[in-house]
Amino acid sequence: MKRVLALVLALCLALSLAACGGGNSTSQPSGSTAGGSSSAADAVLSEEITIKFANYALLEDGYTEFWEGVKSGFETQYPNITIEWVTAPYGEITNQVINMAGGGDMVDIMFGELDWIPTLEDAGLTVPVTSVLTEEYLADFYPSVLDSCRVNGEIYGLPMYISPFILYYNKDLFEQAGLDPNTPPTTYDEMLTMAESLSKLTTADGNPVYPFGQTTASVAVSGAALTGMVYNFGGTVLDENGQLATGNQGFKDAFTMLHTLDQKGYNPQNSKLKDLRQLFATGQLAMYYDQSWGFNGVSSINPDAASFTASAPALKGGSGNGASILQGQVLLYMDNGDLQREACRLLTEYMLTEDVLVDYITNITPAYPAKQSMANMELNPVLQGAASSIDNLSSAPFVAAQADLNLELCTLAQAVTVSGTDVDTAIASFEQTASGMLG
Amino acid sequence: MSTSTAVRQPRMKLKKTTGDQLFSLALIAPTLLVTIVFIIVPVIDSVIKSFTEYKIKNIISGAPGVWNNFENYIKLFQGGKLWPAVAHTLLFVVGVVVAQFVLGMALAVILNTGLKGARFIRSVMMMPWVVPTIISALVWMWIFQPQYGLLKYAVGVFTGGAVSDFAILNDPGTALLGVAIAALWKQVPLTTLLLLSGLQNVPDDMLEAATIDGASRSKKFFAIVIPYMKSVISIVVSMAIIENFKQFPLIWTMTGGGPSESTTTLAILSYREAFVSNNLGSGAAVTTLWMLLMILVVALYRKLFQAEDMN
Repeated sequence: MKRVLALVLALCLALSLAACGGGNSTSQPSGSTAGGSSSAADAVLSEEITIKFANYALLEDGYTEFWEGVKSGFETQYPNITIEWVTAPYGEITNQVINMAGGGDMVDIMFGELDWIPTLEDAGLTVPVTSVLTEEYLADFYPSVLDSCRVNGEIYGLPMYISPFILYYNKDLFEQAGLDPNTPPTTYDEMLTMAESLSKLTTADGNPVYPFGQTTASVAVSGAALTGMVYNFGGTVLDENGQLATGNQGFKDAFTMLHTLDQKGYNPQNSKLKDLRQLFATGQLAMYYDQSWGFNGVSSINPDAASFTASAPALKGGSGNGASILQGQVLLYMDNGDLQREACRLLTEYMLTEDVLVDYITNITPAYPAKQSMANMELNPVLQGAASSIDNLSSAPFVAAQADLNLELCTLAQAVTVSGTDVDTAIASFEQTASGMLG
Repeated sequence: MSTSTAVRQPRMKLKKTTGDQLFSLALIAPTLLVTIVFIIVPVIDSVIKSFTEYKIKNIISGAPGVWNNFENYIKLFQGGKLWPAVAHTLLFVVGVVVAQFVLGMALAVILNTGLKGARFIRSVMMMPWVVPTIISALVWMWIFQPQYGLLKYAVGVFTGGAVSDFAILNDPGTALLGVAIAALWKQVPLTTLLLLSGLQNVPDDMLEAATIDGASRSKKFFAIVIPYMKSVISIVVSMAIIENFKQFPLIWTMTGGGPSESTTTLAILSYREAFVSNNLGSGAAVTTLWMLLMILVVALYRKLFQAEDMN
């Protein structure tokens, strides 16, 4: 009897393992262009449709309410369309979407970072936004904003809202250092002069005040911030063909500036953006570069931060004009057929309106609108000082290995700071590694 | 009646040994199935992919990888990242495993002395082991934080303010040590517990006999306790080698492989190749080399440390 029981158990286990397999039906992509067919446009208003929407923000405190509001508002307006969330933490959502697609279950739309575009385009997952949205609708977006989402000439992401890397500064610390709190620096040289006074300050509990913060820790967004700094100096990292283009003075000047800041002890070493936000919120950092929505992190640490925070455009350095690169949170589309794309079009047009976005980008995640028709909408007061940055954007080309390239830029920044390598040697080492990476 | 009895065939009966073998085979089948499906097949698949150009688009389209003339390996060996990663991995594994064993054994010996409150200490001591690795990493990042971290404060107090900018994770020379400290904090408790159970199995009569013969404490420890614990030590150290060879979340969360790639181990390099560069073939090549190195180290260790049967 014992033997029979053992065999039955073994059989059950084997069968349950066999049952682990399974598959999903694969959606049929249509490959047609924006607006879909007229039959799809009619059907989307009557047929029961479910949009699979991949969105990491649902899992983050402070954002859930907005997104659930979008869902309920949209489903009220279009009762036949249901939004089904696909969620995963920020760092996992792209793998989640890729793995689902590999298993034949592709989402219809995804909320993500601008920097994710090249990866998803290279994977063949996303489709150009022109196959979902009409040219007339896209004409309302700032051309430089759409240009920042181009890969091989096609626009693969639609920014919901945008921000360049802007300079946040602490007006109280400026005053304490005898500087005019309404006159932030406009060039790196002015910043270095002001930093001299700011570096002499200490906090109430005796901690030193860092004059200037630029993130250099090994995370991809730090690489994007460093790319922005290169553009401040009029330099480039990649050319239009996605090949390395670092043999310019602006590139060298940017990393020489990081070296100078480190030598003077002005920049907190090897910091992530969240470290800089913490220091800024607690009055230990006088100014730093961040995306506009980084202020959300600052105010979550110090709710009074708005009283001492102001913003300014990125600094001009060398022969550069202080141009910055765009950061944005974008919508990415996958092709699951005419009906799904048509439903995504309706959802996009519902979401990207002043009515839906105003509270979100004014108070929840401070940002600038991506659409020209929303140019006059109310901004978070902290962002007013840097509003002109939108007119000084450069489009940085994308490559599939963008995230890895960004990490290499961090390694270069660490070489000229914490490792004490001289700038020329560090750049030569970076170029060798990066050129192998880009092929 | 007699006719029906004559027609009845004799029941076929297996030999007892054959029956036992079949029964054993049936019992082991699920384990074999699990091993083949979830270990052998993925490992072979990964090794095959390491010789091909295999990217995310292959997953999406279902297209197989394309043979690329060892390009993944050639790039790795020529790229200048592999050997530093091997060196960091070996340094991390050897350093952590040795420190883990020494600390674990010291704690086990202390707890085995009948110390008052030993049971309570044993329970509390296990807390780091049950904390998820990512949470451990975040806790240690906070402790090591250079501007407001606990370690910076402690170093400032102990040095009378002479050292005020101690930042263990920011210095390429000390960052791996910082991660190793976090790894030890998490792993020493289990090592201690396993070694303690081994210590408690050392026969008292042998120790008493040695005491009567006038053996010193150290003599008893090295001549009786350690030999009797060889099998436990062998398992504990093997587990520690494997655990630290594959250590990824702690390093990735705490340093991301930096600064200046001073904490880029093979685990980090593999992740970067596969999931940051999105080159799964190249990531598989790192994983293959990593697996071979781990097999080599564990085999070498097993060869050097063959357990003897003390009975």
